[in-house]
Amino acid sequence: MLRFVLFRLLHAIPLLIAVIFVILLMLQLIPGDPVQAMVGDFPVSPEFRAAVTKQYHLDDPFPIRVYSYFVNLLHGDFGYSYQFQRPVLDLIAESAPRTILLTLVGFLIAIPFGVLIGTVSGTTRNRRIDHFWTSSTLIAYAIPTFWLGQLLVLVLAVHFGWFPTQGMGPLVSRAHGFSWILERAHYIALPALAFAVHEGTRFARIMRASVADTLGQGYIITARAKGLTRSAIIRGHVLRNSSPPLVTVAGYAFGAALGGAVLLETVFTWPGLGLLLVQAVRMRDNMTVVGIVIFAAIAVIVINLLVDLLYAALDPRIRSR
Amino acid sequence: MSGERALDQQSFDPRWLAGPWRGFRAAVGNMLGTRHGAAGCAILLLLVVVALFAPLIAPYDPLQQAQASLSPPSWQNLFGTDNTGRDIFSLIVYGTRTSLAIGLGAAFGALIVGGMVGMLAGYFRGAIETLLMRLAELFQTLPVIVVVLFTVALFGSSFWLLLTAVILAIWPVEARLVYGQYIRLRGMDFVAAAKIADLSTAHIMLREILPNAIQPVVVQVALDASVAILIEAGLGFLGLSDPNMVSWGQLLYVAQDYMTLAWWTSFFPGAAICLAVVGLNLFADGLNEIIDPRMRGRAGGLQS
Repeated sequence: MLRFVLFRLLHAIPLLIAVIFVILLMLQLIPGDPVQAMVGDFPVSPEFRAAVTKQYHLDDPFPIRVYSYFVNLLHGDFGYSYQFQRPVLDLIAESAPRTILLTLVGFLIAIPFGVLIGTVSGTTRNRRIDHFWTSSTLIAYAIPTFWLGQLLVLVLAVHFGWFPTQGMGPLVSRAHGFSWILERAHYIALPALAFAVHEGTRFARIMRASVADTLGQGYIITARAKGLTRSAIIRGHVLRNSSPPLVTVAGYAFGAALGGAVLLETVFTWPGLGLLLVQAVRMRDNMTVVGIVIFAAIAVIVINLLVDLLYAALDPRIRSR
Repeated sequence: MSGERALDQQSFDPRWLAGPWRGFRAAVGNMLGTRHGAAGCAILLLLVVVALFAPLIAPYDPLQQAQASLSPPSWQNLFGTDNTGRDIFSLIVYGTRTSLAIGLGAAFGALIVGGMVGMLAGYFRGAIETLLMRLAELFQTLPVIVVVLFTVALFGSSFWLLLTAVILAIWPVEARLVYGQYIRLRGMDFVAAAKIADLSTAHIMLREILPNAIQPVVVQVALDASVAILIEAGLGFLGLSDPNMVSWGQLLYVAQDYMTLAWWTSFFPGAAICLAVVGLNLFADGLNEIIDPRMRGRAGGLQS
């Protein structure tokens, strides 16, 4: 196991360095004034320009600039946003937990439904129930989350008035304790639902394929020969043996959650990392954009590493590669 | 290995050998025999026809602001009008061109880039393999939309830049697929035979292995096209796609401010995106079915 951990670390660290290097390289390719490219459409005074040039080694050759950026990163310095007038790391630390919360709640809805639909579909392959669910998930998966979000807002929030249309909570709130949680749940419901429909259908499709695979195994025939009931086989053999691919996919999806969050958070004005990225792009605040993208890269690589290690801990066959 | 080969023989339709045209017709015939494949082909055909004959189908100039603004769907304006009085049906018809161009352009771009990388890495192995596949991993780290958003943030948005950014973000999937196929096929007897016959490496890679590797790759091309269409729509929805193009996503961006008054500004463009993505996914499903006969028709699962 230790060898596997080391092997995966030796894989992940160069990858992380390479990703950051490519991101910085792209930053170099922007045409025009590098100071302006960093701070966005923002009037700069000569003193300010000199300070930025010195701080980020803009007069030095590219390798030294990259090196100094890495040194800054290792000191926890993701740069400074001149649009928000705050360090980028502060902005990330403030919004990332909100994105994680939304993702977690979405997964809590998506995983049970995905497993249920996938199992029903896989155990009734090519029969009418399966055709129904396969077609439904195929269509649901094609719905863009941001459009689904718009429709949910239109119907459930505007027409029926059951949910708030946007944001993370009321501007002024007197609620405490449990009622505070209820109030927040009210706000997270629609974005989490839109997210869950997309992720849940994906989980269902993966679960269906995995269940179909499991059903072809010899031990299922043995179990049937032993006279186990259908539900006993599904609970005892099928579910357990079909879940590993789902664990991996859910883990990777968690790392990549920022991708979905970009559009979803914009629809619901959910003040997470995705919305921050979109705002920064619109204001041409490249320091913030680069900071978030690098943070996202770190998150993806670290989470994928953890998922792989977890998987190896659960399934010894992986370690012996 | 023997199971794999049996599968190859089963999925192989001898009519495919009878020249490209008859082979193509046989493949289409097989596709139309599957439920999903037939539906997918029908939707894609519809979209292609709409895109090609947009000027004949659209009743109005999509940019002409001559109608009453925000009027609901009627016989004059099938899908209603937007806030500046443009006919939404005509906008969607012209938007088909943008979506298909991005979808097909990015899918074929990714096929060429990813296909070359996968072929070289899978056939030659060794240092080339390590280098190329690590490169693929590098480009696969970030979610596709983040890569595209990042590119647009730094360099601005035009059609060609957008297309390049999407290709940059999706080629690794194609590369991994082709790579896997070449790893699998390079050890097979027909490749050994071709080597003994002293055929050139390029000939073996392109004429011997490629035809055997192509089927799952075509499925991936369809899926890539649907990803590209969704990404372009997403970017349009953020108001960051090429402002000189009519696109479904952009209509949704504009609709954000008006949809509470006029549901049709959001509903129809979104439905168009869904239709295109569903069509491509059905097409991919149908292809998968004719490639892997285990997935075909027969009822299976766990009998009670």
